[in-house]
Amino acid sequence: MSQAATTTQRRVSWFEATARQRLAALLDPGSFTEFLGPAAREISPHLALFGLPAQFDDGIVIGQAKLGGHEVFAAAQEGRFMGGAFGEVHGAKLVGLLRAAKAASRDAVLLLDTGGVRLQEANAGELAISEIIRAIVDLRAEGNSVIGLIGGRAGCFGGGGIIAGCCTRLIVSEPGRISVSGPEVIETNRGVEEFDSQDRAFVWRTMGGKHRYLTGGADCFVDDDTTAFRAAAIETLAGRTPLTVSVLEAEQARLKARLKRFGAAKDGSEVWQALGVTNPASVPGMDTEEFLNATKAVRESADDAR
Amino acid sequence: MPGKNWTTQKAALAERIDGGSRFAAGKRVQPGDLCAFFEAVLRPGDRVCLEGDNQKQADLLAQALAELNPTRVNDLHMVQSGIVLPEHLDMFEKGIAKRLDYSYSGPQSARIARMLFSGKIELGAVHTYLELFARYFIDLTPNVALIAAVSADRDGNLYTGPNTEDTPTVVEATSYKSGLVVAQVGEIVERVPRVDIPGDLVHFVVPAGKPFFVEPLFTRDPAAITETQILTAMLAIKGIYAPYRVRRLNHGIGFNTAAIELLLPTYGEKLGLRGQVCTHFALNPHPSLIPAIEAGWVEQIHSFGSEVGMEDYIAARSDVFFTGPDGSLRSNRAFCQTAGLYACDMFIGSTLQIDLAGNSSTVTTSRVAGFGGAPNMGSDPHGRRHPSAPWLQAGKEADDTTPPLLRRGRKLVVQIGESFGAKNEPLFVERLDALSLAEKLNLELAPVMVYADDVTHIVTEEGIANLLLCRDKNEHEQAIRGVAGYTEIGRQRDHKMVERLRARGVIQRPEDLGIDPLDADRNLLAARSMKDLMRASGGLYQPPSRFRNW
Repeated sequence: MSQAATTTQRRVSWFEATARQRLAALLDPGSFTEFLGPAAREISPHLALFGLPAQFDDGIVIGQAKLGGHEVFAAAQEGRFMGGAFGEVHGAKLVGLLRAAKAASRDAVLLLDTGGVRLQEANAGELAISEIIRAIVDLRAEGNSVIGLIGGRAGCFGGGGIIAGCCTRLIVSEPGRISVSGPEVIETNRGVEEFDSQDRAFVWRTMGGKHRYLTGGADCFVDDDTTAFRAAAIETLAGRTPLTVSVLEAEQARLKARLKRFGAAKDGSEVWQALGVTNPASVPGMDTEEFLNATKAVRESADDAR
Repeated sequence: MPGKNWTTQKAALAERIDGGSRFAAGKRVQPGDLCAFFEAVLRPGDRVCLEGDNQKQADLLAQALAELNPTRVNDLHMVQSGIVLPEHLDMFEKGIAKRLDYSYSGPQSARIARMLFSGKIELGAVHTYLELFARYFIDLTPNVALIAAVSADRDGNLYTGPNTEDTPTVVEATSYKSGLVVAQVGEIVERVPRVDIPGDLVHFVVPAGKPFFVEPLFTRDPAAITETQILTAMLAIKGIYAPYRVRRLNHGIGFNTAAIELLLPTYGEKLGLRGQVCTHFALNPHPSLIPAIEAGWVEQIHSFGSEVGMEDYIAARSDVFFTGPDGSLRSNRAFCQTAGLYACDMFIGSTLQIDLAGNSSTVTTSRVAGFGGAPNMGSDPHGRRHPSAPWLQAGKEADDTTPPLLRRGRKLVVQIGESFGAKNEPLFVERLDALSLAEKLNLELAPVMVYADDVTHIVTEEGIANLLLCRDKNEHEQAIRGVAGYTEIGRQRDHKMVERLRARGVIQRPEDLGIDPLDADRNLLAARSMKDLMRASGGLYQPPSRFRNW
């Protein structure tokens, strides 16, 4: 048997998994209770107008569960349905979940996999994004944590990128991407000289998991493996950091300093160079352990806000 | 014929060399002097081969040629494998070139169609690669060949490297028939790593200062393979590869065949097929074949061209690939096409449209993509005389009356796809778009990729149709309808007849082969991402930037 064949059988790829498979692998077995599941048929009221198919869960699975014995509320976006984009029902389910988490004083775990707001229901989607942000901040202000897990096919873009920025902690894998404007959007608005969206290696050097981890945009870097995400989530939930004004001020100061230090960089690899990574060109090729060892001394870390 | 001059071509060549030498130092021509140089060596109406195919391109020479003044150089007759770069068509817009005989036009398929409609191009014919190469030696011999190599020495000896491809054929036809050969090279070196083209066949060399352009055309990202494609791959492996014991074959470039390659070390292994099938290929170095090679499936591969990023892997696997004394791949399109035609027992590939007779085409009414090598791979060679088990078995299925000693074998020509392809376009159609195109352009032949009488099997997610076993036109049509799924063609099937064909094994459903469609899972793929392929190669395969998600 080739190495590839055996690796495939051992590892369950987070990138490959569906939203439901991710939840099943992440949470304590049998502990998940879904709210507003497919049987409730809460479908998008808008997509039919565009002749587009709906899904009975509108592309997001929400519920409560245990994670390492810890009671949590969890949501998982399905990146394969409408690119995991936020529509009216999809957004409302997440808002409701976060408010319920606050009422129950539980931590929340968000499995983000989204291109942003669904264009077909953009107003409702944009409203949902702001409501989600508010709900996250409210939940965190009570001292609860909101953990974002990012490593899906759709990445975490648009409003999803802003939501990620409001989380207490982010766990990311190499294929995961975090940004507000996506590669094609930047290229369309600023030209191919500014950003070549077809150059996938460049896309990953500027918004991929390793880059975000190196600049403090994500807190924890794991293998593209459901087991690794679970272990990291359990470990992250053990910490607890309330969101306070001083935390925000410290982060603001860090971001200012970062802009000053790296603002002129044209490529992620230039940022890594400036950070002091030895041989930045070798970073994309490194496996997880090698990458973490090579960078732990130089990476930036966030001040519990980002 | 007393008094006739029998050496006019040698004299014309000497004139061209003299003219060109005024802009050269020895054989070396600087890129900045190319315009004046070309005006000195080219004559209006010349037959010119500008090297370029679906992979490598003499891009610097193409750019210079397209910038010539059409009052000096005009009405060229281009005879070349590929119309791929914009400059290849700019030449016709400007009147520098007028007539065209070619083979492949993938990326320019829409523009070439518009120019053909508007009469900007006088079309000779669209060929297969091997056909065009053949005509280089009979009635389309170039007066001038503009070729591309990795490096040259001062004598003009050329190293064409892994992407040797068409170069030896083009040079052979041109130089030995008193034509002029001009090569662009990445660099001029003291000593070339190996001599692919002897310097005495090369008249001028242009140091481009950069490598020629190569398209990574044969890289398929495993992340994009769907479960339906995996199902068709399982059907092909269990329903065709296994029973015919196909060892010598060629694969097309689609995702269905990439899925087959990635299922060999998993699903194929489970079926016990290692060593029994897929041991010898006429194939470009597909990255998706790495896991099968590493698992010991493949004994030998001869290649048309190379593939970007595969160089180190190929060099480290010289037991499998053809490599030179320098260690790097030696590809040769003409030889590999010949190998695919005569020494392979199967071709399997996907297409855009199949009609009720079984003709297939990748042409749509607004795009002329040309043929490349597929019609050559996907045809039954009537000149073949050596027996092999799959060939004899297919021949027997097609004809059970002729005595065995007089019966031709048959090459297996398999079309594989989903009943609805990209953008939900049906794979099966009443009438090929190629026919409308031929009418619009007044062509004498519709551009059919694989003719009905060459196709032996069609594989879709609904099952396999074995057309060899059909005994009349009606059975043939119902066998095709019987695997055409929910397309119009499929829905108009005669259900009773399709069931009868199924009882005879002409049509085989997944369940007839013991395949549960629910087992068609991406976990079956030996690699599910480009990174998996790189890992499987032990880091030797270096995927190009645009295929990386890291």
